[in-house]
Amino acid sequence: MKFKRAYLEIAAFLAVYFFAVYLWTLPFQNSKIPYGEFDAISHWELADYPAQNDRTFVYLPPFIDYSYPENNKYKPHTLWYHPPFHTDLAMISAFARDRVVPIYLTNAIFASSILISVYFVMRKLFGFLPAILSSFLLTFSMRDIMPYLWGQWPERFAYAFIPLILYCFYMYYTSYSKESSKPVYIYMMSILIAVNIMIHPLGFFHSLAGLFVLWIFLLVKHKKLAFNFKHIIISLIIFIILFAIFPYQTASMLKTFAQKDANTKQPPFSRLFQWSFDPKNFGGSVPPSYFSFREMSGNWTLLSKLGINLNFLMVFLLMGIFVLVIRRQDRDIFLLAWLISLYLVLHRDFIGKTNLIHRSLSATAHIFVPITILGALSIASFIKARQISQFLKYGMVLLVIFLAFKYSMPQAYSTLDTAYDNPLKRLNQAQIDVSEWLKTNTNDQQNVSIIGPPPELMEKVWWMASISHRVSNFFEGFLTWGRYKNKPEIASSHLLNDFIVMDYSDIGLISDRSYVDKWQQYEKQNLANHTLLYNKGSIGVYKYESKN
Amino acid sequence: MNLKIENKGFIAITVVIILAFFYLILGFPGMMSALGIILIFMLPAYLILNNFDLEQDEKIIFSFFIGVGIFPSISYWLGMVISFRLAILITFILLVAIAVVLPSRNKASK
Repeated sequence: MKFKRAYLEIAAFLAVYFFAVYLWTLPFQNSKIPYGEFDAISHWELADYPAQNDRTFVYLPPFIDYSYPENNKYKPHTLWYHPPFHTDLAMISAFARDRVVPIYLTNAIFASSILISVYFVMRKLFGFLPAILSSFLLTFSMRDIMPYLWGQWPERFAYAFIPLILYCFYMYYTSYSKESSKPVYIYMMSILIAVNIMIHPLGFFHSLAGLFVLWIFLLVKHKKLAFNFKHIIISLIIFIILFAIFPYQTASMLKTFAQKDANTKQPPFSRLFQWSFDPKNFGGSVPPSYFSFREMSGNWTLLSKLGINLNFLMVFLLMGIFVLVIRRQDRDIFLLAWLISLYLVLHRDFIGKTNLIHRSLSATAHIFVPITILGALSIASFIKARQISQFLKYGMVLLVIFLAFKYSMPQAYSTLDTAYDNPLKRLNQAQIDVSEWLKTNTNDQQNVSIIGPPPELMEKVWWMASISHRVSNFFEGFLTWGRYKNKPEIASSHLLNDFIVMDYSDIGLISDRSYVDKWQQYEKQNLANHTLLYNKGSIGVYKYESKN
Repeated sequence: MNLKIENKGFIAITVVIILAFFYLILGFPGMMSALGIILIFMLPAYLILNNFDLEQDEKIIFSFFIGVGIFPSISYWLGMVISFRLAILITFILLVAIAVVLPSRNKASK
């Protein structure tokens, strides 16, 4: 009977997770063309290159080095991220023998793995219903979905480690006594922290803050250190070994961390009473809606027709916090410590650390959602009569599911379903074909230059660079921008012996017709005497070489 | 050494369902990707963790989150000197071999 219940729980979780993965993979279910902002381009190419070339690298290939030469602060021209994340994607791409679906699917599974880790931890500490509902509600978290779509891939995955790292510490601490202990948990914690760094340092700093607060809280409650010299030494050794595997990236991370932030302005005192930030301070990087709880989590205004404009999501969240504070069992302390550590991380600007601070906001749903669910389910516990309490509990489960479908799902679904379906945002077949041609017919030491694209097409040029593993020069707005005053000199000194791509395949999408005329005029005047090597689908490739 | 996987039948059915699901939504590359994730990230790490005193759900979850860090760390460095695909295979064999030689520690230690 017990087994059957476990099987049912797993089946229910699989159903929720499949639903989430179905939603999160919508952007590449019908169109198998890569998409995303500049961050996504860099992640895709770092994964695709080893899979396609059957080798890994320390020094960046020329087409990546052109864009990211100084990103590694310690050793320029090398990988700036620890290699495991992109090697993971590369391995699956090599295994599945496909360039697009494996990389995007593996990333989707990584990004949505917060559903797995939250389910696991909540199931262990609070039981099945809070766990499955938390996982279900996280499916629609816009603060997770938006950065996932934009391309902040490693960071999304790194957050999924936080509950597991805290869980390992919690298990070690709560099972610890002088007579017996389970050191395997502290060893697991050590490995997970090291892997967490390798995935993204930001997740690691969140984890450290969480561990610190959890340890303090448990220490105050239990008044035991749970300190075994042998266990600590072994786990430190494990951590140091893993920490040292990628010295260039680790050193770069430490150097970045040690750097003084450019923005050291002291935040106003009132910010201590806010979780989010003023959107005006982040204009251009993320949309204002990203800073709104209501817009990112859903506006559960169930009683708005009665004139009551309460957001029940917020009500349940506050109830959850209230219940945890009143009850203060170890498992409640676990969630409270996680919540408070997130608060501390989100206010690190008070100690002058502002780097990527707005990105930490994208980890809020991971702890808000479980507490919200506990708050909603706790209503039943206020009723003494068992039958009514049970009825109310399952009623709340249905209500939460209904509210999530009604208020949280529509925005998540439409965002994912229509993501990057603008033809200006994804390469067309002609651009993919020429990229493949360049990859086959040029070597990676040769320059391939794209001259002229207007800003709205620049992401496409970068995607062409990624797919071709070439393209080392971009001359954005070359034909119209005043910045390129010495055009003849650029043509003779910078473009000589380059392959020049003239791409008219998006001609119908460019609103400024005069731009296209200038493009054609330039081609006629400057490239007519050079060899046209490729001419297909409104794209030409010239070899720009001296005729002397 | 402990290479025994608990609830084999149930796990096998679950894996088949997972593969079928990914085949349905993303075709053959989707199914192969899911298979790769299970074989590369989870299986070797699971076999290693099987030697420790952890519950099965813990082993499954930890194997994924540890596998995504340990496996690529080895195959990345191997991929510098040999074919990347071969590096993946050798890493797999190496980690399974570690699972075989590792003494089982399935009891709480003092």
